[in-house]
Amino acid sequence: TCALWQLLFRVLSPLPAGNALASIALEVQARLVKSALCSQGYPRLALAQLPEDGSQGSRELLLALSWLLARGPVPEQMLAQTRVPLGDEMTVCQCEALASLGPPAPHMEAEGPVDVRHVQWLMGKLRFRWRQLVSSQQEQCALLSKIHLYTRGCHCDQNLGHLSVTEAEMLRDPEGGQKLLRTLEHESRRLEAVLAWRRAEPVFWQWMDTVLGTCAPEAPAAASQPTFLPWVPECGDGELELVVRELQTLEEELREAVERRRVAWEAKARGCGRGPEWSAARRAFRETVEKELGALQRCWEQDSGPAPAHGPHRLVRREDGAAGDRDLQAAELIRTLRSQEACLEAVLRQLQGQCRQELARLAGALPGLIWIPPPGR
Amino acid sequence: MSIVTVQLGQCGNQIGFEVFDALLSDSHSSQGLCCKRENEAYQASCKERFFSEEENGVPIARAVLVDMEPKVISQTLSKAAQSGRWKYGQHACFCQKQGSGNNWAYGYSVHGPRHEESIMNLIRKEVEKCDSFSGFFIIMSMAGGTGSGIGAFVTQNLQDQYSNSLKMNQIIWPYGTGEVIVQNYNSILTLSHLYRSSDALLVHENDAVHKICAKLMNIKQISFSDINQVLAHQLGSVFQPTYSAESSFHYRRNPLGDLMEHLVPHPEFKMLSIRNVPHMSENSLAYSTFTWAGLLKHLRQMLISNAKMEEGIDWHVRPSLSGPSSLGKMSLNKDLHFNTSIANLVILRGKDVQSADVEGFKDPALYTSWLEPVNAFNVWKTQRAFSKYEKSAVLVSNSQFLVKPLDMIVGKAWNMFAS
Repeated sequence: TCALWQLLFRVLSPLPAGNALASIALEVQARLVKSALCSQGYPRLALAQLPEDGSQGSRELLLALSWLLARGPVPEQMLAQTRVPLGDEMTVCQCEALASLGPPAPHMEAEGPVDVRHVQWLMGKLRFRWRQLVSSQQEQCALLSKIHLYTRGCHCDQNLGHLSVTEAEMLRDPEGGQKLLRTLEHESRRLEAVLAWRRAEPVFWQWMDTVLGTCAPEAPAAASQPTFLPWVPECGDGELELVVRELQTLEEELREAVERRRVAWEAKARGCGRGPEWSAARRAFRETVEKELGALQRCWEQDSGPAPAHGPHRLVRREDGAAGDRDLQAAELIRTLRSQEACLEAVLRQLQGQCRQELARLAGALPGLIWIPPPGR
Repeated sequence: MSIVTVQLGQCGNQIGFEVFDALLSDSHSSQGLCCKRENEAYQASCKERFFSEEENGVPIARAVLVDMEPKVISQTLSKAAQSGRWKYGQHACFCQKQGSGNNWAYGYSVHGPRHEESIMNLIRKEVEKCDSFSGFFIIMSMAGGTGSGIGAFVTQNLQDQYSNSLKMNQIIWPYGTGEVIVQNYNSILTLSHLYRSSDALLVHENDAVHKICAKLMNIKQISFSDINQVLAHQLGSVFQPTYSAESSFHYRRNPLGDLMEHLVPHPEFKMLSIRNVPHMSENSLAYSTFTWAGLLKHLRQMLISNAKMEEGIDWHVRPSLSGPSSLGKMSLNKDLHFNTSIANLVILRGKDVQSADVEGFKDPALYTSWLEPVNAFNVWKTQRAFSKYEKSAVLVSNSQFLVKPLDMIVGKAWNMFAS
């Protein structure tokens, strides 16, 4: 039973660190497993009532494990967590960053009145750290770019063309290369283990059916607890077609209207003048408009459109601009990120405006108070 | 991580030269009191931060020189080249022929925008040379027209274009009895603009440095060069390499960032001042010995009694021993001119530095109620001695040092404006 608690903990814990986990007490691991399962919607109450010392409950734990295995590709996810990256990678989606935040910290009441100057101090420190982080990232990018440029033509894989940092390091330090090789062999063995599991899986499920059969049925309240049901859109085929056609006609009409307006405006603008101030102003206008369009697009695409690719991607520098099917182009990515940024900035401005209004209201409520807002940016 | 220096106006360019010279001579000094390997690491760290390499091995200062007159810049360039040990970049300067007539508005609203593109291009080229870029020093005076006006303009531009990089303005506080009639206007305009766009304002007071030259160094005819050298010594003792917090085997990568994080995170308290001990002429140095206890005792008293230098310290000023009643403490302190600090950073360099005891700086009576000494006070140490001083200590302080000088300037400016 202890081993099952530990296995569940290892599966549910977001941290990939191996050694640190061993030092956590069994009771703590058990408690964390219970809360993690509960937050994921595990329906069986019996698990929550199990004692945390590992003395009983192996059947419930087995059921919990099989529930997790049925919901998603657990062994593959765990492999992905501990994979050895050979290339220089970055992730595009925000999933990992959001997942590592963990459950929200419990609300902590301050012991006494908190001086706002202290809070401002801490905020300032955070800002400095943030800026240093950005500087470090810029440094990393500059160095990566140099390495990729200098090692052009060194890679045996023609598609990649240049070395990554890990690969260059291997050439420089053969001993480190041996260590990397050993790590890769470990990973290989784990991969084989997962493949073996997949081959033998049907036997496991047959057995689990029998285990489930031996369980007493749970109280009806728990069974009817809604878990994650897939959402099926209600409209039928015919209605969808109609809507699509209407949208297409609307799009045509809008396009024509835009074209007419653009021609008229350009004719007007051509007479407006030249000079550096004008071109600077034009540039500024264009940037603002692009930003706003990007924000609109982003908000529109939030409910539809293709999801951005998940997981890490290897950075490859290419002169010819040729890309495979599953490759992402940097320019494309930059555009997506810029539009996301514009959207977030719009939200930030809105929230700041709300804050300002609230502060003004509070200040106005106190007669005789002179309100000096901080120097604005 | 590298720092790019922007030298503005006569003041900025002359001081900038002395700073680079002091940094390089210290890094090549043979009296570092440390082993060869450590010395090499120190040299490398200093060089990477302030200089770039050229093919023939002569270090080139990471600097952009700006002035509206050509005279000072050409003097600065030739002095550097003559030293033979370092030089400025060939195309690193921008000058005009007209001058600014000590007119802040002329610097800020005319020269600045007119030459914005050229100046920012020079800066951009210098930044691009850095593999890892930490931030900017902007050296300028407050009282003139070029340094102050263009300095304010350039700092604002840097804020816009390099918002993630750090900016520290080295500001020269004019003599109280200075010759420029409108120096108080210029100063206030400069400070108010810099407060919005700079991260830290490190202030060097001409009066204070002048006294150091007269009393401590015994110089009879004090020239600007003497003053600038004292200033350079102070800056060098802050920004030369120090050990990082984690280990004594690595030098701190980003002293500018660490310093700012320790001292100026609060957006309303950005002004810093420097005090250092000991400071004396080379002749006297040969006959002096120092203990850490003595040096730190003096430095602490300089801090709390608002002294500008080691001589003439008022030893009567003491932290109040009364309880936590803040009102009582404030009035008592006001009578004794006690200088309360928000945050302090002490940097110690030299022999037996590990034995130096800085407990005196952790006294809560020195600090405000909203920041405890554990957060307010930091100390950096390194075994390697600085510039011929077997032991030296420098204090960078975010405290009330500048309240009185600022009040004086504001008062004079109002009087002039209202008259």
